[in-house]
Amino acid sequence: MHIVNPTYGVSAAGGEAVAVKPVDWRADPIVLFSNSKPNARELLEGIRARLGEIRRVDNIEFVHKNSASQPAPAELIEQVAGKYKGALLAIAD
Amino acid sequence: MTDTPETELLDIPEFDAEGWNEYALEQGWGDGMPLALPTEAAVAKFVAVCRGDNQPFAPVSPRQIVPTLQSLAANAVMAGCKPEYFPVVLAGLRGVLNADYNLHGTLATTHPCAPMVLVSGPIRKTLDINCGSNCFGQGWRANATIGRALQLILLNIGGARPGVMDRATHGSPAKFAYCFGENEEESPWTPYHVRHGFAASDSVVTVMAGEPPHNINDHGSTSGEGLMTTIAGSIAQPGANNIYGKGPYVVVLGPEHAETLHRDSWTIERMQQHLFERARVPVSRVSKENQASYAGSGHVPEDGYYKIAPTPQDIHIVVAGGPGKHSAWIPSFGGTAVISVRVATA
Repeated sequence: MHIVNPTYGVSAAGGEAVAVKPVDWRADPIVLFSNSKPNARELLEGIRARLGEIRRVDNIEFVHKNSASQPAPAELIEQVAGKYKGALLAIAD
Repeated sequence: MTDTPETELLDIPEFDAEGWNEYALEQGWGDGMPLALPTEAAVAKFVAVCRGDNQPFAPVSPRQIVPTLQSLAANAVMAGCKPEYFPVVLAGLRGVLNADYNLHGTLATTHPCAPMVLVSGPIRKTLDINCGSNCFGQGWRANATIGRALQLILLNIGGARPGVMDRATHGSPAKFAYCFGENEEESPWTPYHVRHGFAASDSVVTVMAGEPPHNINDHGSTSGEGLMTTIAGSIAQPGANNIYGKGPYVVVLGPEHAETLHRDSWTIERMQQHLFERARVPVSRVSKENQASYAGSGHVPEDGYYKIAPTPQDIHIVVAGGPGKHSAWIPSFGGTAVISVRVATA
């Protein structure tokens, strides 16, 4: 029996896999990215404090979206990608 | 969802109806209710209705997959649609794919929103879309299956699997199907789609990521002023996402309430302005913690009240339903927009 696949589609252009460069989480500049939900900042501050036990933290910075319900603007993502080697996203709620 | 071969046609075992449904549910293709079989022949009938609708579709979040007419039609077949419903389903899909609708956010959220589908114009009658008594409820094939088809598309093409990418805390019954028609025949005002720039002869689908309808009961008020007091008071609640003051909402007036309001000279614009000013939440009903949270995003009370719509134009008013002294309001997800799309007809 033949049916039409209800999940079928083609990948959107731009969805190609990119090579990810290795991150040295013990030294590289990283960003703690808040989804702007309640307690996201607190969660990330806790992570930064714990990271401080094993690495320098003066190159760990915070970034947040303007709205919890809206995607991060492309410019912000570009900025993060250009400035930091790694990002940790808090998906608090 | 199981790993499905990325081919448009699938060769599956010969099933009876029960076997097919067990198989489909095991694949993760369903909403828990029985599904019709999307055979090539059935799908072809749906695609034939949409010849000429050649605008490409944007990728569907969260899976970011560009659908084909065939795969979309397969979902409409499974939902139980008739072929002639398919253009309405596609218009609804184009609506939720509008960037301002914020499909990814509305699917991934813990909020129970579902795509509310409002149909205006002549196609309501052609397809027998219920605009009257029980218009949000059961009993009409078009309402039930058009809404269901859109949900199945978001599940199967978009990948919005409950508990995985659809993170709704409770969800809602509206996530099965949420489609109704405007009761233009009993509305004393210009139809919704005409007020928004479409021709009266156009058929239009309007979508919003909304909660299920919240009833507004008012059997006692005999004046427009009285009804507006009840409606504003019912909308002014601290627990809806609209409390953030960032999103639209819909007010669905029952024909009897609408008649009274119109008799007392309430226009759409006057109601929008009145609700914008009066449907507000007093600070005393908002917790101190929430007050601090809202202040952090710049949402502060005005004269002791929180406004819950950004502007009067974010309050969308239509007439639907049948006899009875009830109306309804539909809070939105907040970070979304009301989008209207003309139904492409051959």
